Amino acid sequence: MPASSCRTAGCTLTGALSVVTQVTDGVTVVHGPGGCTHHNFSLLYATAIDNGRPVIPSLVSTNLSETDVVFGGEEALGRVLERVMAKRPGAVFVLSTCIVETIGDDIEKVCRARQGCPVIVVPTAGFLGGSFQAGVNNALLALAATAGPADPGCGVNVIGEKNLEYEVEENYAEVSRLLSMLGLSVNLRFVRNIATREIGLLGAARLNVLRDPSLVPVGEYLRSRFGTPYTPGFPIGISGNSAFLAAVAQACGIDGTDAVRRERAREMELLEEFRDLAGSGVLFSPIPPDPEGRIAARDLARKVGLRFSDEGCPVPVPVIPPVGLAGTERLLHRWRRAIFA
Amino acid sequence: MPECGTPLWPCAMTGAAACLAGFEGIHVVIHGSSGCYYYPSTLLNAPLYGTFILENEVVFGSDRRLKEVIGDLSGKGGRIAVITTCVPAVMGEDLSAILPENDILLVDSPGFCGELETGYRVALAALSPKTDPDRKGVNIDGVSLSDPFYRGNIAEVTRLLRMAGVPVGTVFCRDWAEMAAHATPLTIGTNADFASGVGKFLGGTLGIPAIRATFEQLESGIPGTDASQVFDELDAQEERVIGACDRFLRRHTPPSVAIFAGAAYAEYAAETLKNYLDAEIRFVGTRNDPPAGRKTRYRQEKANDFGLVADRLQKTAPDLVIGSAFEQPLCPDAAFVGLIPPLQDRVRLTHAALAGTGGTLRFMEEILNTCMDREKAKKVPGTPGV
Repeated sequence: MPASSCRTAGCTLTGALSVVTQVTDGVTVVHGPGGCTHHNFSLLYATAIDNGRPVIPSLVSTNLSETDVVFGGEEALGRVLERVMAKRPGAVFVLSTCIVETIGDDIEKVCRARQGCPVIVVPTAGFLGGSFQAGVNNALLALAATAGPADPGCGVNVIGEKNLEYEVEENYAEVSRLLSMLGLSVNLRFVRNIATREIGLLGAARLNVLRDPSLVPVGEYLRSRFGTPYTPGFPIGISGNSAFLAAVAQACGIDGTDAVRRERAREMELLEEFRDLAGSGVLFSPIPPDPEGRIAARDLARKVGLRFSDEGCPVPVPVIPPVGLAGTERLLHRWRRAIFA
Repeated sequence: MPECGTPLWPCAMTGAAACLAGFEGIHVVIHGSSGCYYYPSTLLNAPLYGTFILENEVVFGSDRRLKEVIGDLSGKGGRIAVITTCVPAVMGEDLSAILPENDILLVDSPGFCGELETGYRVALAALSPKTDPDRKGVNIDGVSLSDPFYRGNIAEVTRLLRMAGVPVGTVFCRDWAEMAAHATPLTIGTNADFASGVGKFLGGTLGIPAIRATFEQLESGIPGTDASQVFDELDAQEERVIGACDRFLRRHTPPSVAIFAGAAYAEYAAETLKNYLDAEIRFVGTRNDPPAGRKTRYRQEKANDFGLVADRLQKTAPDLVIGSAFEQPLCPDAAFVGLIPPLQDRVRLTHAALAGTGGTLRFMEEILNTCMDREKAKKVPGTPGV
């Protein structure tokens, strides 16, 4: 079994699709039965609606039938690629599924023969020891490999935003706000709502801000490829912002002292706003599986003066820790609602 | 299956899960990789189990993993059902031989063998439902966990049956598992796309004419049934629908409509809009294959591919679109009513029905309100989407 295997870590295909479908002029071909495409098309679109940006994901299935499964699906893939490429998309992404890996279709060979626009293969069979995160990383690395050298700029890349996350835009807004406190702007959201040609800007940033530490392999790849340093994650929890500002300032060679001081003052203001929660007994429900999430939630509870008790009021703790002060404030409102409801 | 499409309807594996997970006392195991588990798990909102197979199990056999998951479930009571997905289906393992000592229900329903309704039928057949001649009442069928109206449909049809003094038999598929083997000999339906085929079918409950005909059948088929209250309700409520539609028509022209749904719901929507609003039904796109031999007076075509749906909507340019969140953005200027998943446009907390009297009232209420909202918006210059 590959070392990265985890049975419940999600589908590699879905992870990769959450990245490649954010390339607005690209088309994604899912080589497999129609069900795999429908499942993901439905999920991606429903998420897009929830996030207030109802864009239809550009997905096409090779719709493998039982006959294709028996005799091989390479011809079906070739035919679909021809039709898709005739429409001259910015790029074509070809993603595999469990069944085509099982029957042994040579996707690389079929795609190598195509010319006219970039055809990028992302290996995404769900059962091959992968996970949702492996799909995300595979897709980011596959797209990054298409970027050429770029003139150095003064912006910052945001790498690997969680595109299926309900608060994705709110989290981005919080990080943008912090960067602007240091006089920095965003060079590229890699990958969220960008055109194929914009991938060429990837190497122009002075810093890559990774969404979370699971993207370190992507950060390392970009550092070796373009020499760009990275920070390993978005700011987490009540104290995350000031630490994030300090780390970004140091990496970019900026004096961040004033920005850190102002953000610490905001942290204190936020705690004061929720002082009425002090002394309330709470119970995390459910306990966050992620250690970072547990630590952030416990730290926040301690700072607002909550007591942990088995008989305490169950309060929600998100699976993904809240980003920055803005995320922390939203979480504290949810806790207040639960405690005083 | 057509190539180069974007399928808009779930696969057979999901259909099998929608059927079996509706029965209390059946633990449903999706035998496949994690991706195959998560979709039915989120769509159906039902507890499902998965084997989450990995590469080594595909190479060396998945029997140990399957036995492990089944072993974990065996102490929970109830029956275990295993639904195979695409990869195990082509691995050639004889799963029935692997699990001889257990009363395991094995359903071979990989995604590539068809669509939602196919899997539902295969799973129900595997359950071998039986009728019990001594059991009183009537079964309700056509219930699928994939249908956003299933809870409301059960509640509404149950209410009508109680008014007529008819006990509810087995609900296919939302009941205790043992009830599948003790169905009554008579059945009425809520959605013909998920017909059970169990017992003698007396009719459906989609639309007031169908309800009336079905309850006439119940009166003649079940001694002691008195459906007079139901008929009174149908008359009174239909008058309200006619009145509201007549009022709409005094100021507005009937809407031109494109409908996208499973065949049964699509036919119901078309007939209802034609009958009460004199609507112009420009196109009926069915997600599934309509039953062979069913005649329709509308332009109807199977439309389960996104490109085809977009093309038909562009060509027909309707005032009103009935379908899912997939259709809604394709006609941003049209009024929209949701009928099939995904329905992401608004928060939905109530258990709305489509079947029964309440179903028709709610459906027409939504249609009239959305059409009137559109007419009002037309008069406000600069209204987005109009």
